[in-house]
Amino acid sequence: VESLQESARVSDPKLDLLQGTLDLMVLRTLESMGAMHGYGIARRIEQLSNDQVLLNQGTIYPSLVRLQNRGWISAAWGVSDNNRKAKFYSITKAGKRQIKEELANWERLSAVMGRVLAAGEGGA
Amino acid sequence: MSLLREAWARLRSFFRKGELDADFSEELASHIELAAEDNLRQGMTPAEARRQALIQLGGIEPAKEAHREWRGLPWLDGIVQDLRHAFRSMGRTPGFTLTIIAVLSLGIGANTAIFSLLNTLMLRPLPVRDPGELVEFLSVYPGDPRLNSFNWKYFERFRDQNHVFSGMTGVSPNNFQVSLDGGETEELLGGYVPGNFFSMVGVKPGLGRLIEPQDDRLGSPNAAVAVVSWSFWNSRFHLDPSILGKQIVVNREPVTIIGVTPREFIGLQVGTPRFLWIPAAMTPSQRATGELSLQLIARLKPGVSIEQAQAEMRLLDRERIEDIARNSPTKDPVLRQMRLDVEPASAGFSQLRERFGKPLLALMALVALLLLLMCVNVSSLLLAKAVAREREMAVRVSLGASRFRLLRQVLTESLALSALACAAGLGLAYVGAAFLVHIVVSGRRPPGVPPIEINLQLDGRVLLFSLAVALTAGLLFGLIPAFRAMRSAPMNSLRAAGKSSETRFARLFGRGLVATQVGLSVVLLSAAGLFAAHLSNLRNVGIGFASENLLLVSLDPSINGQGESLPLRCEQLLTSLQAIPGVHSASLVGATPISGAAASLFITAEGFEEPQQDRRYTAMNGVGPRYFETLGTPLLAGREFGVQDWQGRKVAIVNETLAEHYFAGRDPLGRHVTFDRSGETYEIVGVVGDAKYYELRDPPPRTIYLSAVRDGRVRARNIVVRTNVSPASLESQVRRTIDEVLADFPVVKVTTMTAQIDEAIVPERLVALLSGLFGVLGALLAAIGLYGLLAYLVARRVNEIGIRMALGAAPRKMAGMVFRDALATVSVGLALGTGAALGAKRLAAAVFSDLPIDQGMPLVLGAAAMMIVGLLASYMPCRRAARTNPVEALRHD
Repeated sequence: VESLQESARVSDPKLDLLQGTLDLMVLRTLESMGAMHGYGIARRIEQLSNDQVLLNQGTIYPSLVRLQNRGWISAAWGVSDNNRKAKFYSITKAGKRQIKEELANWERLSAVMGRVLAAGEGGA
Repeated sequence: MSLLREAWARLRSFFRKGELDADFSEELASHIELAAEDNLRQGMTPAEARRQALIQLGGIEPAKEAHREWRGLPWLDGIVQDLRHAFRSMGRTPGFTLTIIAVLSLGIGANTAIFSLLNTLMLRPLPVRDPGELVEFLSVYPGDPRLNSFNWKYFERFRDQNHVFSGMTGVSPNNFQVSLDGGETEELLGGYVPGNFFSMVGVKPGLGRLIEPQDDRLGSPNAAVAVVSWSFWNSRFHLDPSILGKQIVVNREPVTIIGVTPREFIGLQVGTPRFLWIPAAMTPSQRATGELSLQLIARLKPGVSIEQAQAEMRLLDRERIEDIARNSPTKDPVLRQMRLDVEPASAGFSQLRERFGKPLLALMALVALLLLLMCVNVSSLLLAKAVAREREMAVRVSLGASRFRLLRQVLTESLALSALACAAGLGLAYVGAAFLVHIVVSGRRPPGVPPIEINLQLDGRVLLFSLAVALTAGLLFGLIPAFRAMRSAPMNSLRAAGKSSETRFARLFGRGLVATQVGLSVVLLSAAGLFAAHLSNLRNVGIGFASENLLLVSLDPSINGQGESLPLRCEQLLTSLQAIPGVHSASLVGATPISGAAASLFITAEGFEEPQQDRRYTAMNGVGPRYFETLGTPLLAGREFGVQDWQGRKVAIVNETLAEHYFAGRDPLGRHVTFDRSGETYEIVGVVGDAKYYELRDPPPRTIYLSAVRDGRVRARNIVVRTNVSPASLESQVRRTIDEVLADFPVVKVTTMTAQIDEAIVPERLVALLSGLFGVLGALLAAIGLYGLLAYLVARRVNEIGIRMALGAAPRKMAGMVFRDALATVSVGLALGTGAALGAKRLAAAVFSDLPIDQGMPLVLGAAAMMIVGLLASYMPCRRAARTNPVEALRHD
């Protein structure tokens, strides 16, 4: 039984993302697109990443809860373009502040990663 | 900040589960519709569009699961779920659950009860500033209890000349005669204090102000003030703030109440609450001569250790000892061997600690052992249940439950059990502690010493203790079943078709648990035996008189020294008492043995030279005619006192030890002894056996007896009556007779010698009683454990037994097989227990110097008792094995 579960995990083809990375994507999407529902956010990230990021659309919801609990986004029920009832999320002021911080962090991290990986290649 | 916010949001979500679940279901439904619409637009059929939408989402349930994990408090959800499961599983076997809770609550309750007493007497810090810095001084006269009592003049010297304390003060305990508003006088405990008392001890006023240095000036009218306790304020003034400025009369002097101490401050001695404090300057004569006696307390300077403080204080104290020795009217040479101890006083003065500290620690150790035994017992019960639940566990593992999750669940069950037991245990502890206090306060007390009052509080420390005990116990008895659950192998269990397999290890382990219980019981039983033997020795061995059937009557002390017709009336009284049916004899005595009172003096014996430094006190007592016959002390030579000795020739009776010391090898009869102080000389007319006098724990002292009535004066307020029947049954008749003959001297106390002895050995009784209780309880549990194990073994092997019997094995042989199992397990336990008990005995001997540890008896008895208990416990399972019906046994599976 256990070995079956193991192999299921190993064969996961999607990018294994850090929680914070997905959160940053959600925040960024809401910042640029305004209020959106969960499906819309998931679609948008799928399209932009060429289906490389989300394991499935359901994985967007933990991120939305997390951001909501931290007060970076807010949610309200509304009506979609085609007259469907949906829950819309929008970024808060605290969320916008957080983006700046996260972006700075991200840039620092990717710069460091770039340097370390490049050095590793050069040394080999 | 956002972390805090998240925690808060999660906590709120935890309590709004239903609402949020519904909201999220709706959100997912809308998600799927939106996705399906998109898919429709791409040309899918409606059914396919919906199917693809679900695939894209990744399923509704996983989405909900992930959502929940980030929304509320998933670990708490898990615990709640585990708890629910635990309570359900407990509910399925209520008898089993109640048994475990009963056993554990007894253990936790007993631990908590003893700890709460220990806490009150020894640990709970005084409600003052930095109590950890406080120390007290104890003056030690070799052979006597340590005493915190110093004259004012030495207090001043200590206070002014030391370099180790940041402050020093004291209190002179007093029973004040107090009257309010000209009302009746009542006696209230209080103390005279130096002006720095409250500031040094670190007490803030509850109301008004406290005594300050300017109040404590000799001759100052400002000294006529008083500080009262909160309980005094409450009971006499109903917390009316107008108490400030009120005048009350204390020891015939009017004083003004200036303040109230905080509610929690009741003085410095646990067990003796005080109500009133008055400046020491209100005792002008004693203050001026420096003779006012104080209990001293001091505050260590930061960084100074108790050892340093003691070293300096012992130097300073030399002068006091020299003073006392030089001015001693008796020239007692032992006075120069006195020393001073500095002891921590964060919990106040040590009086009760000195008496009950070691006994309570011993009890704490025993009760911890008992709890350990209970944990092993419960653990073996749970293990048996775990065997029954093996299939459940196996199924859960197969269904994907993680092993850690199983471990957590079994542990949750154990902890839930111990939490319930803890709650029940606190209730038991409350009752048990009240019972302990009842014993502790029952001790004898010299006249003038107030009764002990102990207020046990279930304070935070006690609660924390019992929680910690419960948690430890829960982990202890829960771990083994938990690991077993974690290691459960689904394949084997499921394959066993309803009957779980048992490894050799598991079988041995179960027996090991029972053997451990037997071993622990042996330790408990032999400890109980040891303390019981100690108590019995104290009560009976070498006390020098027969304590049964002795009635003791104390008369008003005014009888002492009265002249005129009194001797004649005393003679009449004794004659009348001896005429009561059931009375064997009656006599007079100055101080009955073990009453807490005694007299002593220095004597010089004819023809015996001894250097000054070897001289020791001789105990002295005044006794009437037939005293030794009445007490049951053997007369070894010469005669008892008679009425003829009430005047004329001065005669004395001595005990064997005195005769041996002063007249070794010579006949003491007819020889003379002279009392140092009075210069009177007495002729020895009798020698009696040694008898304990002041202290049951010490060997009998050299004792000289004089006639209780002499030249028209009576020096005895006590009457002893030897009865042939139960002494209590004669009490009313004895009282009536005394009232008839000596109506002017009322009876103030009637007791029996056995009761008087019991009052003097409260700590030993406490330990003996409780250790006995623990021993019996332990043995009982071990028996249940053994019974359970054997019954289980027989039940498991019923098939095997059936086959063997079908093949012709005798029933007796089957019983023997079970019996051998029992014997082997008990023997291992006995071996373990004996070893541990021997170790524990050495430990006990290091703590209690006077334990009869050289006796092997308690251990042998303990082991024998466990053997018998083991045999009894195995009787039923053996019988069941022998009576197995082969046909039924084979049909059993």
